Amino acid sequence: MEKQTVRSFVFVYLALIGLLALTVGSSFLELGRLNVFVNLAIAAIKAGLVAAFFMELRAAQAVVRLAALAGLFWLALLLGLSLADFLTR
Amino acid sequence: MPDSRALRAQFDDLGQQREAAALGMWVLLATEVLFFGALFTGYTVYRLAFHDAFVAGSGHLNVVLGTANTAVLITSSLTMALADVASRSGSRRAVIGFLAATAVLGSAFLAIKGLEYAQEYREGLVPLNSLVFSYSGPDAERVQMFFNFYFAMTGWHSLHLLIGIGLLIVFIVLAWRGRDRVRLEGNVRAGALYWHFVDIVWLFLFPVLYLVR
Repeated sequence: MEKQTVRSFVFVYLALIGLLALTVGSSFLELGRLNVFVNLAIAAIKAGLVAAFFMELRAAQAVVRLAALAGLFWLALLLGLSLADFLTR
Repeated sequence: MPDSRALRAQFDDLGQQREAAALGMWVLLATEVLFFGALFTGYTVYRLAFHDAFVAGSGHLNVVLGTANTAVLITSSLTMALADVASRSGSRRAVIGFLAATAVLGSAFLAIKGLEYAQEYREGLVPLNSLVFSYSGPDAERVQMFFNFYFAMTGWHSLHLLIGIGLLIVFIVLAWRGRDRVRLEGNVRAGALYWHFVDIVWLFLFPVLYLVR
């Protein structure tokens, strides 16, 4: 097996477990509204690690990355435009 | 000598075929992002409107089991990624071993989720048609809305995971029966993208549902 790749996967795995501990730990701190943002930021970092390494977006062709970004783009529209309404009523 | 069916007629070479498969999977996953995105958007709107009730509802979830399950699923993504690497450059035994480990971890996730559902059922927190939702705290109807979202989102996620486990079992059988290496590699590649996506959905579901403060 490709030693280099396997090693990077194990590092990513350890980082993901560390981030999980961090997100659960932070939820016991009284940070007010900040708790949500800490949780979402950590989840986004974890998702980025999985996509970049395990799903190999890092080494993917431009058109494949574009398809992945398209998913995020439409999600941003869905969430962004909905909340632009509900948050400003 | 690779199987003559390994390279489909419409592609020039295996590299092009692999790239097309990856593109196709990512387009599928983009539609899945929107499917779960709609659930997340609905949840967000109600959580903003019923904040205190959602904090109360979230307090009834089992954070210990939820955390354990997140760790189980992250580990399954590692074994899936290793199966992916093994399908390219390892032995057939290694591919089968990693696929089996992934299927076992995925099943462990569903088993733990089942324990949680059973616990919530005993507490009368399952707002399904014929079941009684018996919550005695304030804002019971708003808390019920939290549990509607909780069961819809985790239920759809579990269904996705069940489909993933089914795919893994099919791949294990195919590998066992000596499927051509290139074709098996393509199967595992596509299955791995799907599996990691289902993992990512959970990475958001866990903090959003279990850690509401």
